[in-house]
Amino acid sequence: MLMGMDEERAANEVFKALADPTRRALLSMLGEEAQPVSALTSHFAMSQPAISQHLKVLREAGLVSELKAGRNRIYALDPEPLRHAAEWLERHTDFWATRLDNLGRHLREKHGKDA
Amino acid sequence: MARTLRFEALYPYPPEQVWVALTDPQAIGEWLMPNDFEPRVGHLFTFRTKPAPGFDGIVQCEVLELDPPERLAYSWKGGGIDTIVRYSLAAEGGNTRLVMEQSGFTGLKGFMVSKILGGGWKRMIAERLPAAAARVEGGRYHAEPDDPLSRCHD
Repeated sequence: MLMGMDEERAANEVFKALADPTRRALLSMLGEEAQPVSALTSHFAMSQPAISQHLKVLREAGLVSELKAGRNRIYALDPEPLRHAAEWLERHTDFWATRLDNLGRHLREKHGKDA
Repeated sequence: MARTLRFEALYPYPPEQVWVALTDPQAIGEWLMPNDFEPRVGHLFTFRTKPAPGFDGIVQCEVLELDPPERLAYSWKGGGIDTIVRYSLAAEGGNTRLVMEQSGFTGLKGFMVSKILGGGWKRMIAERLPAAAARVEGGRYHAEPDDPLSRCHD
C-alpha cells in the first residue's frame, strides 16, 4: 500500500510502457532471448521504424536495454523495473498477512484456549 | 482481470468473537491500526499510522456494510489507493473462516494487481525473475487450498 514518490513515478513509466499490447509482446519475446530489431519485426505486421519506436518507449521505461554487437544492436529485457512492481505487491500483501496474523494473536490473548 | 486481493484465515474462535475483534475500535487498534471506527453504516473514520514517502499515514474510511457477525465492509483510501475492504465470516465447527478482500484497485495499482496476479504476465516474471516470482507465486493469496494464509491460526 505504500510507495515512495520516485518509485511511484518510475512505476508509472513502466506501466505506461506496458499498456500497449505490441510492447508487451516485444517484452515476452525479449524474455525468451535478446534479439536485434529485424528479428523482432518479423513477428509483426508492422514496419521496422514502428517497432523501433516501441523499443524506444520500453528503453525509456528501463525495461529494455540496447547492446551493441558489431554493427548490430541487440535488445535485451531488463527485469529490474518488473521486480519493483512485484515488490510493491509483495509489500502490500505482507501488510495484510501480518495484520491477519496479529488478529489471530489478539484473539488468542483475549480468549485464550477456551474457545 | 483479477483486481482483488484475497486473503483467507481460519481462527479457532466462533464468529461472534472474531466479529468483536473486527468492530471494536480498541481491538482493531491492537491488530490493525489506531482508528476511530464505530459500528454504524455511513460512519466516516480514519486509520492512522506512521507517515512514509508518498503516504501521509492516514487511511480515510467509511463503513459501507455491517451485518453481524457475518459481513463487514469499509472504503479504504490512502497511500495512493482507493479501495474497498470486505470481511466475511463463516462458522466452521467452533472456528471462523475469515475471508478478507481488498478490491477496486484502479489506475497504476489496479494494473499491477491485475497483471501480476493475472496469468501471462506472472508467467513471464516467473521465467525471468525466479526470486521475485517465487514470492508472487507464494503470495498468490487467492485462496487456493495450498495458500500459506489459509493455515489455521491456533
